[in-house]
Amino acid sequence: MESTKSKKITAVWILTVLVLFIVSIVLGILMRLNQGGSIEQTPISFYTNMTTHGMTMIGIWFVAGMAAINYLLQRYIRTSFTINVVALVLTVIGILLFWSSTFIGKFHAAWTFLYPLPFKQMGAESWATLMFLVALTVLGVGWLIWSLSLMTQLLKKYSIPQAFAWQHFRKNPKFETPPFILITMITLVGIIACLISAVVLIVLFFAEYFSSGTFVNDALLMKNITYFFGHTIANEMLYLGLAVIYELFGEVSGRPKWKTTWYVALAWNFTLVFILTAFFHHLYMDFVQPQGLQIVGQLASYLASLPAAGVTVFSVFIAVYRTEIKWSLVNLLFFIGIAGWVIGGLGAVIDATISNNFVLHNTLWVPAHFHTYNAMGNVLFSIAFFYWFSTRQFTQNFKVAKYTKWTLALLLIGGIGFLMAFYIAGADSVPRRYSIYPSEFTTAAPLANLGAIFATVYLIAILIFFFNISKRCLKILSLPS
Amino acid sequence: MFKDIVLAVIAVGFGLLLNAQSVSSGLKEEANIYGKVFDAPLRVAENDSLLFHGLYNRKPLILALVFTRCYGVCNPFLLRLAEYIQLRDKDDSFSVLVLSFDPKDSVDDMKLLGKRYGLENNTQWTFAVTDSIESLNRSIGFYPSWDSSIEQFDHDALLVGINNEGFITKKLIGIRQPHDLDLLIASVNNIFSPTYRLPNRNALFSCFNYDPKTGKNTPGLGLLFIALPAIVTVILLLSISYFVRHKPLG
Repeated sequence: MESTKSKKITAVWILTVLVLFIVSIVLGILMRLNQGGSIEQTPISFYTNMTTHGMTMIGIWFVAGMAAINYLLQRYIRTSFTINVVALVLTVIGILLFWSSTFIGKFHAAWTFLYPLPFKQMGAESWATLMFLVALTVLGVGWLIWSLSLMTQLLKKYSIPQAFAWQHFRKNPKFETPPFILITMITLVGIIACLISAVVLIVLFFAEYFSSGTFVNDALLMKNITYFFGHTIANEMLYLGLAVIYELFGEVSGRPKWKTTWYVALAWNFTLVFILTAFFHHLYMDFVQPQGLQIVGQLASYLASLPAAGVTVFSVFIAVYRTEIKWSLVNLLFFIGIAGWVIGGLGAVIDATISNNFVLHNTLWVPAHFHTYNAMGNVLFSIAFFYWFSTRQFTQNFKVAKYTKWTLALLLIGGIGFLMAFYIAGADSVPRRYSIYPSEFTTAAPLANLGAIFATVYLIAILIFFFNISKRCLKILSLPS
Repeated sequence: MFKDIVLAVIAVGFGLLLNAQSVSSGLKEEANIYGKVFDAPLRVAENDSLLFHGLYNRKPLILALVFTRCYGVCNPFLLRLAEYIQLRDKDDSFSVLVLSFDPKDSVDDMKLLGKRYGLENNTQWTFAVTDSIESLNRSIGFYPSWDSSIEQFDHDALLVGINNEGFITKKLIGIRQPHDLDLLIASVNNIFSPTYRLPNRNALFSCFNYDPKTGKNTPGLGLLFIALPAIVTVILLLSISYFVRHKPLG
């Protein structure tokens, strides 16, 4: 059972995530306006905003997913409140240090901080790189402790074969692993692996930083580890959201809970294995990467995503097709989010195909697909959870209010318009990560301005959600212990 | 006592931070790359002048900066360049501009220089002076300084690759190997050149080690680092599972 203190800390997580989300959206809009020529930022300000926007978004939607599964796991196991608090404190400290490194120190090597960019000062303060690395360490330590703690609690109740639902590969399994437990376990293992890769990466960065030139890193190694961490965490945070859907979709729709079958177990076990090698598709342009790894990258990209997407879409389809559903904001957001995840995922798979990557690499197609499965996928999963969590403390009535329909319309119009500006520009070979566009890219600036306008519409919808959810979260915080 | 230890640790930590330095090579060859070269007026003969873009618009350009009174690096530098271009047998995909950065040099001085190398009738080569050398130097990041005690310029031997749109694509400082010059010519012709860091004693964790004798790559220690997170995770999973399930009761 969820305790009051568990509700309170979940409410604090939600408030933290939403506030940081709004600031990050504003930074994104400023970037698009600058690319459109509507405002003028210095290159350093643009790249500082880009770095802050990217890293904050990744961080907050990761912790949003973790907070959600931490809360829901209490239906099955005991979780540690103290570790939850430690993770929260370290996350806040980490974000403050990180923002100091960017906003004050002008660190602007992007959220991927590809080696050797952090060592090129390029107008940043001399201490900014160090502060960025310290921020990363603080965040990594907090999240690793949290993930290990949750995995330990799961393993206390479930054996390894049970946690991975291997018994479902046989006929008539005696024990059923809930899909929520299966996906949570698969995801936590992936998260731990990618956070350990972050530890390796940070150690190598620190080693070079403090060696005064007596130790240098191998650029190929650093890029591989960077994407082991970056690509994996960006995907695992989506799976956290999917775990929540598997747990809540049936419940809020007035339908039976989803069950683990052999194909669900198989698809998610595929995801566990292949998501850890899919990151090789980020190195297609690196001629020194052995060709075998490039092929592994393409195959793993398909095998990690398509089976899991297939079974999830199939489960949602079965749940809603010709069935009476109690539609509410929660399952509507889940439903739209699944669509966003699948569309963005397909965009990703297209880009992860070597022959396509030659055309799409480093174009706006890349932000197009990852903004699709984040802004119109994972964000909606988490907002659905936030809404469900904050509402159910006071009522079980999740009916869609009239103004909610308008909010959803704003979210859809804003989100789709904002993404289309990226996709069209990407298909037109407009490069990404440019602060301003050369005149040769005739469509780039108008599309950037259009993107900013639609993103503002999306922001209005988010502000309405923020107002409603945070009001109830503040009420939860004032509940007696 | 405890407070003192904490203060000492903070002081040591702070000292380390102050001493920490980021490894920024600050290579001069990287400065001004992809910047546009200043469109200086050039004089190639007494009554023959043209703007810089008149040269690079015709063909990509290699710019060599010298001065005729130099008794240092300019002559061996130019000699090596001329030898190298002769060896590239009829490669006319680029032109060479030898430009004086000494305001005292005249068109005749430069003509004589060309004659000394037997290049006075070679259409691939142009010898010129300009009255806007400071602006040109700034645009390419070249800063010679006059040393009055020896009556010479203290300067780099600089080759600048300029493509036919006037952008600096590559710079080479010093007398370099033919392979470097090949890369320079490829860059002015907008041809992709794969580049890589050379084997370095300080790079301990390379993914692959290249053996120049056999021409083969062998797996390096760095590959272990890529596999390490997955290996550690499996070990953690098995260890945690073992310990939580075999914890003695009570």
